[in-house]
Amino acid sequence: MWDDQFEEILRPFLPFLPPQEPLTADHELKDLGLDSLGTVQLLGLLEEAYQVRFRDSALTMDTFRSAGVLWETVEGMLQRATS
Amino acid sequence: MAYHTALVFPGMGPVPFAEVGRFMVACPQARELVAVADDTLGYSLVDAYRRAEGDYSEAAQVAFFVNCLASAHWAREHLDIAPEIVAGPSFGEKAALAYTGALDLPDAIRLTAEIARCLEAYFADHHRDIVTLSFVRAPREELDAILAELDEAGEWHEISCHIDDGFWMVSLAEQRVEWMRERLRAIGSLPLYTMRPPMHASAFAPLRAKAEREVVSRYTFADPALPVVADQDGRLLHTGEELRTMLLDSFDHPMSWPSVTTALRESGVRRLCVAGPDSLFGRVPGTVRTFDVVAAQPRLAMTPRRLTRAA
Repeated sequence: MWDDQFEEILRPFLPFLPPQEPLTADHELKDLGLDSLGTVQLLGLLEEAYQVRFRDSALTMDTFRSAGVLWETVEGMLQRATS
Repeated sequence: MAYHTALVFPGMGPVPFAEVGRFMVACPQARELVAVADDTLGYSLVDAYRRAEGDYSEAAQVAFFVNCLASAHWAREHLDIAPEIVAGPSFGEKAALAYTGALDLPDAIRLTAEIARCLEAYFADHHRDIVTLSFVRAPREELDAILAELDEAGEWHEISCHIDDGFWMVSLAEQRVEWMRERLRAIGSLPLYTMRPPMHASAFAPLRAKAEREVVSRYTFADPALPVVADQDGRLLHTGEELRTMLLDSFDHPMSWPSVTTALRESGVRRLCVAGPDSLFGRVPGTVRTFDVVAAQPRLAMTPRRLTRAA
C-alpha cells in the first residue's frame, strides 16, 4: 500500500472522488477526474516528491490508469534507486 | 495601445455530450445561440450532437463553437469580463471571428459547419495514414534529434502545434507513431494522444485551397471590433482581410500558443479569460505563470451561484 504523501499528491487531481471516500488501488483514475494535463502535472509532482525520474516504459498513460499501478511504478523506481 | 483583459477561445478537444448538454439547453446565453444555429443549419443542433458519432463530427464542431461563444457571453454578464483583445488558437479562430463581428453569427455557424464537411470530405480521400501526436517534456534540441532520424529514414513529418515549453504536436504517418512514442519516452517525454483528422501542416495546402474555393470565398469578413491575435505567429490583426488569411493559414501553418501568449503579455494583458470547454490552453504552465486566468467553463455556468445582495 502507498504512503500518505502519495495520496496527498494524487487526491487533488481527482475531483470526482469525495474527500471522505477511500481511494482504492484499482479504481480508474480517469473516472475520478484525472485528465491529460492533470497527468502531466501529477507526473512532475511525483518526480519531485520522490526524487525519481519516469523514463521509457513508465512514460505511458497506462502507468496512470489506477492508483495501484501508479504506486507500483513509483515504488519500483524507489527500490531500484536504493539497490 | 495597452490592453488589460484578453478573451481566448480554446482549440477543440473531445467533449462528450453529457458534459455540456445541460448547458446548451439551460443556460440562457447558450439557448439563444443554439436557436440561431438550429435556424441556420435546418436541424436541431442538440439532437444532432447527442446522436453524433466521433469526437469531431459536424454537430460536435458547431456545438463546440456555440458553447465557447455562449461561455464568453455568460462571462461578460456574470464575471464582468470585458475583453479588449481576443485570441482563438486553432479551432478557436472561428469563435473569435464571430465574437469580434468579423462574421455575423449565422455566417460563422454556416462557415463552421461547412469547414467541418470540407475536412471530412478531404481526409476521406487524402492523407488517410496521417495523425497528429501530442507529447510533453520534449526539449526542442532533443525533439529535433528525433525528427532528424525521421528525415534520415525519409519519413514525412511536421510540427503542427507548439503548446508550451516541451509540449508539441507532430503530424506523421500512423505506422511511425509507435516508434516515435518509444523514442520520446527514451528522452523522458510523455506521449499523450493521437488526433485524426490531423491539422496545421504544409502538406495540407490542397485542403486550404479546397476550403478557400468551396467555403471561405463565399463569405465577407468585416474588420473586427477588437484586435485579434494570430495563432500562427502572434501578430495583432485589425482587418477582415487579415482574419480571412489567418483562417486559411490555419490549414497549412503550425499553431504557436507561446507566440500568442507572448504577444498578449507584450500588449499589457494581465487577465486572460478562456471561454468554453477548455482542458489545455488555460491550464498549461506558460499560461498560468503569465496571466490571472479566468476559466469560463460551461460547468461553471451551470454551478449554482450565491445571490449577492446589493449594499
